Amino acid sequence: MFAALHQRLRSSRGVGLTTLILLGGYLSGCATAGVGAQNAVIHAKNVVAPALVHIRPVKEVYAQGKRREVLVVGSGFIISADGYVVTNEHVAGESKYVRCVLSSKEEVDAEVIGVDPYTDLAVLKLNVGYDLPFVRFGDSNKLEAGQTVIAMGSPHGLSRSVSKGIVSVTERHLPDQAGNAPFTNWVQTDAAINPGNSGGPLVNLRGNVIGVNSMVLRGAENVGFAIPSNLVREVVDALIADGRVRRSWAGLDLQEMLARTDDVDAQGVIVAGVDPLSPANEAGILPGDILLALNGTPTNARFEEDLPHVRRLIAALPVGEPATFRIHRGDAEQEITLKTEEQGGLKGEQSEYVAWGFTASELTADLIRRARLDSSKGVLVSGVQVGGIANNAGLTQGDIILAVDNIDVVNLAQFKELYDERLESGQPRVLLSVRNRALTRYVLILQEEDHAEGTDDEQ
Amino acid sequence: MRKEPTMSSKILKAALFCLVSLNAVAGDVFTQNQLESIYDRVTPAMGLLKYSSEVTNASNGETSKRDRTALALVVSADGLVMTHGHMKLEGSDPFNITVTLGQGDGEKEYDAVLLKKPDDVNVVFLRLQSDKPLNLPFVTFSPGTSLGLGEPVSLFGLLGETLDYNQGLQVAYVGSVLKKPRMTYCLDGSVRFGFVNGPVVDTSGRLVGVVGFDLSTAEGGDLYVRSGHPLVYQTELFAKYIKNPPSETAIDMGEDHAWLGVFTQPLTDDFAAYWSLKPTGGLIVSTVVPGSPAATMGLRQGDIITQFDGTPVVAKQDRDVMGFTKLVREAGAGKETSMRILRDGAPLELTVKLGVRPRSSQDADEYEDETFGLTVRELTRDVRIRLNLSEDVNGVIVRSVKSGSTAQLGRMQPGVIIMGLGDTPVRNLEEFKSAIALLREAKPAEVAVFARLGSETGFFRLEPVWE
Repeated sequence: MFAALHQRLRSSRGVGLTTLILLGGYLSGCATAGVGAQNAVIHAKNVVAPALVHIRPVKEVYAQGKRREVLVVGSGFIISADGYVVTNEHVAGESKYVRCVLSSKEEVDAEVIGVDPYTDLAVLKLNVGYDLPFVRFGDSNKLEAGQTVIAMGSPHGLSRSVSKGIVSVTERHLPDQAGNAPFTNWVQTDAAINPGNSGGPLVNLRGNVIGVNSMVLRGAENVGFAIPSNLVREVVDALIADGRVRRSWAGLDLQEMLARTDDVDAQGVIVAGVDPLSPANEAGILPGDILLALNGTPTNARFEEDLPHVRRLIAALPVGEPATFRIHRGDAEQEITLKTEEQGGLKGEQSEYVAWGFTASELTADLIRRARLDSSKGVLVSGVQVGGIANNAGLTQGDIILAVDNIDVVNLAQFKELYDERLESGQPRVLLSVRNRALTRYVLILQEEDHAEGTDDEQ
Repeated sequence: MRKEPTMSSKILKAALFCLVSLNAVAGDVFTQNQLESIYDRVTPAMGLLKYSSEVTNASNGETSKRDRTALALVVSADGLVMTHGHMKLEGSDPFNITVTLGQGDGEKEYDAVLLKKPDDVNVVFLRLQSDKPLNLPFVTFSPGTSLGLGEPVSLFGLLGETLDYNQGLQVAYVGSVLKKPRMTYCLDGSVRFGFVNGPVVDTSGRLVGVVGFDLSTAEGGDLYVRSGHPLVYQTELFAKYIKNPPSETAIDMGEDHAWLGVFTQPLTDDFAAYWSLKPTGGLIVSTVVPGSPAATMGLRQGDIITQFDGTPVVAKQDRDVMGFTKLVREAGAGKETSMRILRDGAPLELTVKLGVRPRSSQDADEYEDETFGLTVRELTRDVRIRLNLSEDVNGVIVRSVKSGSTAQLGRMQPGVIIMGLGDTPVRNLEEFKSAIALLREAKPAEVAVFARLGSETGFFRLEPVWE
């Protein structure tokens, strides 16, 4: 995690990772296989094309203190005759409804079965009442750099795009903050991937899906990234079974051994940091410890590429069951037993407060750590509308609201209740206790200043 | 025939009228000749300031470097230069500072050292470096001049890079006059960046001040609160610094400012109404700094300060907070004094022993290590607050990393807080120095540096080249 910080891809140089959804949905220039292209490519395309889905979700976007609905465009593919569809979380997440265009030219609204922001995957369900064409997954562990692959997508409704390339790197580690994908080693390809291709399949010449196209490196030529199919299958199975992926969380930040020593015999993985409100912290694991094994399974990570594997080992522990962490500290080894908790959401739920002109989100573990809070109580101001009551009172984006009229804010739902009560009562002044980084202060909301222009939607 | 004399007399009359009108306003406008002569007098003292600054983003610790330019104004023959306080913003440390004076063949570039920033007006001073004594053209300001609403003034500054930083002038009018707490003149229209801190000259040719943007504390402002309007910083506000320039070594050992350790907000009438208090003003304690005199005396968040050291505190607006800061600062470090507060609406009298204001980052001790190619600095109180570091975070903060050094190869960057070197914990600058000394003896092939960047901790592996 830490090493990621100094490998940041600088957007100032025009380089940065970007996802492939099309906002507003329009793209010109679509690649098609040329006449006389290799039969193998055409074969693979023909296997997959009928299962491609063009996806147009209407997403909820919170920006500048307002909730908006935005139409986005992406791709997906059907993986079963009864209509399960795989796409990216950044395509279908936070969607109110998802309109799909099938290769049969039929337009269908899909149901969102589950999303997993940690891997950027989502599963949708098409309910059409007849069997649909579908594709099969290949084994991404068997990929080889140099192998021919084709990227497919459906950025424009009925038309399908195909581009050919090779696997450039089979297990590419990316700084996790760029994509928040702690469990993923990416398949890197030079097959051209374009906006609107997000969620489309990366296919081998047998016509099997070996990855889900998700990102490109902006400012670079032909550097695209796909989620490897083996990880996709794991996540998709969990989403279909449960609607979510249950993962264990211990609160450890891991770093590869190479950050500390070049010794090839060094075992284990570095504990770079421990979240303050976490099971690992309570159990006494310290930054600088070396984690050697987990319930007897070695946790070796010499290189960054080895980190997702170790993180997946921790995530796979049964939630709430005791697990044994073998730790090397100083000159001694010891075993620490702790019970993991279920990993919380990567993105906090948000809601909008129309009358006061701001949006707030719940505090995630990551936010709590960054804001150095000593409890998970409070809500984060995610946006403030210019000229609104909250803005005039001096509330700013990034403030954490800790109390309303001296009543502690516990979570987003309770904050919403406190807000509704005050809107209802129409009391002229409401006192918010807020915190921003190290400083606390008071913000006085003047309700009489402006009468609500609109009513709050159901959240 | 009879008409002609009438015509000529009309023309004559008109001509006379014109002359009369011109004479009537001659004191209140600039003539071209006058502007040219002021330009010739003022511009030789104007130069181009270039510097780089590294800004650390407090929320993620990310650092970015920028090259900047500004107008430099020579205010003494021996090389004292004044410029806009923007150069030394909170959290930025300008470096590679140069000032170019003269035009064409006479152009000469000087290295310059930034002096300690004044804390009551948003200007900074630089000292030009030279082996030989300098004798430069400089400007002299006139104190005690006043301007009237609508009065024209001429401003001098530099054009942008595309126009080769050519010197220029513009005429502006006094668009607004603030009478309290002291006369403050706002200019109409907009002023280009290269004109900020440029001389302001009245129609009599006197230099009444320079162009600024932020009210000085004497004008009821705060150093970093933008007024949004160009203002005239009058001579009185900065003349004392020209006479007695700020210390060069940034470290000011002379005076210990007193310290209470609170952040406050004014008790506006609305806050007073919310708590059912009389709208008499005061200061709401919003944050109590841990370990400060305020914390020791038991001051709490939400207390309202109504009197300090015998002086009533009647703050009602943001700009009134500065007055209280000044009151505390000048009360005397170590002094025991009384405070009146309201706690839950009830009056309370407290005694506080004021502390010494902790050093800020601009006065912090630094250490440059050549083996790693790092300059580190002690963690001062203001940095702790800015970076939201809890009391248990101790170490030294990296101020700069030498290009091509071991530290740079190890991907270290400014803003990183070093908390351990090898197996030795580093809690302060002294411990950093002794840990380095130990390493110099042991000469290990690799050194694991335990550090914090933003909210994350982790290791950097350095492979030093030992002599």
